[in-house]
Amino acid sequence: MRKHKSDLVILFATLGLMVLGLIVIYAIGPMRANVLNNAYGANYDANYFFIGQLRSVAISLAAFFLSFKVIPYKYVKKFAKPIIIVALSLSALLWVLSLAGSSLAKCELGECRWFNLGFMSFQPAELLKLALVIYLADFLARKKEEGTIGQFREFWLPLIIVAGASLFFVVIAQGDLGTGVAIIAIIFGTLLVAGVPAKQYLIMLAVVFTVAIGAVATSSHRMERIYAWLDTIQGAEVTDSTYHIENAMLAIGTGGFFGVGIGNSVQATGYLPESINDSVFAIMGETFGFVGLFAIIAVFGALLIRMLKVADHTASPDQRILVVGVFSWTLAQVAVNIMAMTGLVPVTGITLPLLSYGGTSMLFIAFALGLVLQISCYTSREGINHEDISSRGRLGGSHYSSRRRRS
Amino acid sequence: MPKKFSRIQILKTVTLVALAIIAVRLFAIQIIEHDAWVAKANEQHTLLETITAKRGEIYMMDGSEPTPVVMNQTVYQVIIDPAVTKKDEIKQVLETYAKDYITANLDDIYNIEGLRYYVVAKNIPYSIATKIAEAEVSSVWLKKGNQRVYPEGEMGSTLLGFVNADGIGQYGVEGSLNKLLSGTDGLLKTISDVNNVALSIGTDNIKIPAEDGKDVVLSVDRGLEKGIEEIAATHIENTAATNAAVLVMNPNTGEVIAMTSLPNYDPANYGQVKDASAYINQVTEVPYEPASIFKNFTFSAAINEEKMTADTTYFNTPYTEVDGNKIWNAEQRATLNNQTLTMKQALYWSLNVGSIQALKFLGDNPDEITATGRERLYHYYYDKFRLGQATGIELIEAEGFIWDPHAEIYGLNAAYANMTFGQNLSATMIQTATAFSAVVNGGYWRTPTIVKGTLENNEIIPIDSEKVEDKILSDETSATMRDMLINNRNYKVRSGIDKPGYAIGGKSGTAQVVVNGAYDDTMSNLVGSYIGFVGSEGELPEYVIMVKMWGEGQALSGGEAQNLFDSLSNYVIKYLKIKPVL
Repeated sequence: MRKHKSDLVILFATLGLMVLGLIVIYAIGPMRANVLNNAYGANYDANYFFIGQLRSVAISLAAFFLSFKVIPYKYVKKFAKPIIIVALSLSALLWVLSLAGSSLAKCELGECRWFNLGFMSFQPAELLKLALVIYLADFLARKKEEGTIGQFREFWLPLIIVAGASLFFVVIAQGDLGTGVAIIAIIFGTLLVAGVPAKQYLIMLAVVFTVAIGAVATSSHRMERIYAWLDTIQGAEVTDSTYHIENAMLAIGTGGFFGVGIGNSVQATGYLPESINDSVFAIMGETFGFVGLFAIIAVFGALLIRMLKVADHTASPDQRILVVGVFSWTLAQVAVNIMAMTGLVPVTGITLPLLSYGGTSMLFIAFALGLVLQISCYTSREGINHEDISSRGRLGGSHYSSRRRRS
Repeated sequence: MPKKFSRIQILKTVTLVALAIIAVRLFAIQIIEHDAWVAKANEQHTLLETITAKRGEIYMMDGSEPTPVVMNQTVYQVIIDPAVTKKDEIKQVLETYAKDYITANLDDIYNIEGLRYYVVAKNIPYSIATKIAEAEVSSVWLKKGNQRVYPEGEMGSTLLGFVNADGIGQYGVEGSLNKLLSGTDGLLKTISDVNNVALSIGTDNIKIPAEDGKDVVLSVDRGLEKGIEEIAATHIENTAATNAAVLVMNPNTGEVIAMTSLPNYDPANYGQVKDASAYINQVTEVPYEPASIFKNFTFSAAINEEKMTADTTYFNTPYTEVDGNKIWNAEQRATLNNQTLTMKQALYWSLNVGSIQALKFLGDNPDEITATGRERLYHYYYDKFRLGQATGIELIEAEGFIWDPHAEIYGLNAAYANMTFGQNLSATMIQTATAFSAVVNGGYWRTPTIVKGTLENNEIIPIDSEKVEDKILSDETSATMRDMLINNRNYKVRSGIDKPGYAIGGKSGTAQVVVNGAYDDTMSNLVGSYIGFVGSEGELPEYVIMVKMWGEGQALSGGEAQNLFDSLSNYVIKYLKIKPVL
């Protein structure tokens, strides 16, 4: 395939969201610093968070252009296995360190998700998501080529081992349900386009769904979030556990049509927890109103749909799976974060890609988007018919007719 | 079915559906429910806070300059959040720096589940608060507040009162002038952050500033007050008394320049007082029977009505019988019993038969007490001397009791006979001293006062209040009474206690105390009082001093009160530099 211009929508959506994130952090960072200084006797400078975000954006931009322009995907692909091994090893190391009570493991509210590197903290789960996307692209494409997709020993077993390990470290060891959801989305997104037989796909989906419900139901901590969510949407009294959702919705609700304007957010002055990280969407709702949020959703929507277009027009199966992996990752984070902030799903604690404060999360998703952009330079004009719901070649078109008859 | 219902298409659909759901949800929250959320936000964000007015300070006079005796000090409360604050850290910091200020048991607090924000120490001065702040324990707040401080310690505590934990003045000047001292609180309505710090966001912020309380200047002289308290305390120590009350006032203006009820208490730790009666100002709040001091008022009445003079004579018997009760003289001497004596002698020896005789004279019948006599005595006691009535001084006051001259009781004449020597009635010290001032100052009853005014820009601004000046006795009556009162103390001059060149007069009173509804005739329970005046010889008295000494179940005579008066009169002369006329 000949190289052509990259997808400008993805490029500008990515850059635009980063800039928007910077603006919002610039406006509410000083409030956040003030809250922390008051509550914990910390001594954050008013510009601490803005400078931090500026640094994150700078590093992320570097990663973005590195993966977009500098490192060809074929090299990235060569490291698919080492990267997943490194990512899982780091997660394992963090787990061991946290069990040992080492100060290298940074814990907040009892959950140890970060390496404490002194000058910065590093969240291995973010690397794991990227690693998983790269690994799955390579793995699934290979299996597809070998024609072993759907076989237990060749296909499901290694997949379940990698996926199980990833989920174990993220959900069990780190207690990070949000990232767990993103990982599941990545796995099922990529499996879908890799051409797993529909029946197996649906069975696996059912199994994971069942396990997930079981995991939630057997954890009082997670059930509490569910109850809190149910309480909130029923308009019950504000309690400690419903406080977060309640205040996120309050921020969004007070925004109205046009918002209160930059710098006028009251919820950011300490009422809304995680105002610069996970709850930044709610603050944007207060600041920019329905018009602003609609625009932000439209930008994310465009980004996601364009990624699908790139995937659809990419000839190479591995690249195509990779793009869908990045797409699934982005969609999961955007949807889960915003739905939590609007009371549609329970709060899980997940960042909003490119907008939330937080270096690691932005760095890896920027790198991933850079890869998508690189791939977008090699798409064909026409959509490429890779596979249908039916497993092409075996059941053919009759699948639909037969299904229709049965139903 | 279209040929290309690709799996990508499924993802596209999922994406669009998810985003559509979100968009609809946002529309619901931001457009449809907008007003409800704004109302909720206002409830959460609006800080409605009273701006506490600064309480006025209290001054006494130091010569002609006001000097503070009750001041305000900024103090701090320590508030912790047990959910975040580490128990061991805060415990160590508090015990190191602020052990005496801890108000809560940390172990108990940390056992209460879900507890947030708790006050664990109070009234911490700035220097210690700084150290606690420097310890940087997480989630520890220092809240600023005001506390009364007393540079003179316990001095004048029963006069000054205290301010309770709610900031309301109790007892004394703090209680009676609470409104003036406390001022008017302001109101702040504003959008605030989560720590209740006001924000400049929003348009309907309201700020009504507080109107601070006034600084009040008392007419009391600080140095004199201190000196008098020390002298009285010494006399308590050296007698059977447990309590003493002293009042010094200017009979020509009604201004009080010293007032105390001992023992004092520590107003900074007012809660440690065992019995609330310790807060009571005995001078204005407790009516009692001042006893023979009241002979001055009976004599004044009879003389002013021209029914007798100092030299009028009567036949003094050891007792006289009224309504079948024998009323005895306390002084039983051969030289007095069954002798013809002058009224002057009767006052000198404090003879009850003599004061009953004065009542008889007042009723136009030298042989018995008449209704006219009772009416006239009542008119003088209650209407003219205003005994048994609140005087109008700027303090919490009690009234008292004077029998109506036509009261339908058995033995009304006997009651009136007792009233001539200050028993069977009640009046406060301030009422007695104000009436006595009228006796000696030329006959003017003046409303007593203890407040010079408010202090504004170092200037004393008098407070508008209704002051009575009533001429109730003739100049001559007053002069006669002064002569007799000075005569009472002539032996004091001879014995060197009263210095020559001064006009010092006085009268003692020893009151039997009602125990279980009847006067205790064993004389084992007595309250001693003394009232007198000091001034330069030949001139109007400059100061009236009244003394009361008592003790639960103790016999304190007018003689012991007199000893205290002797010390006080000499101290007043010295302290106020009254010039002798030699």
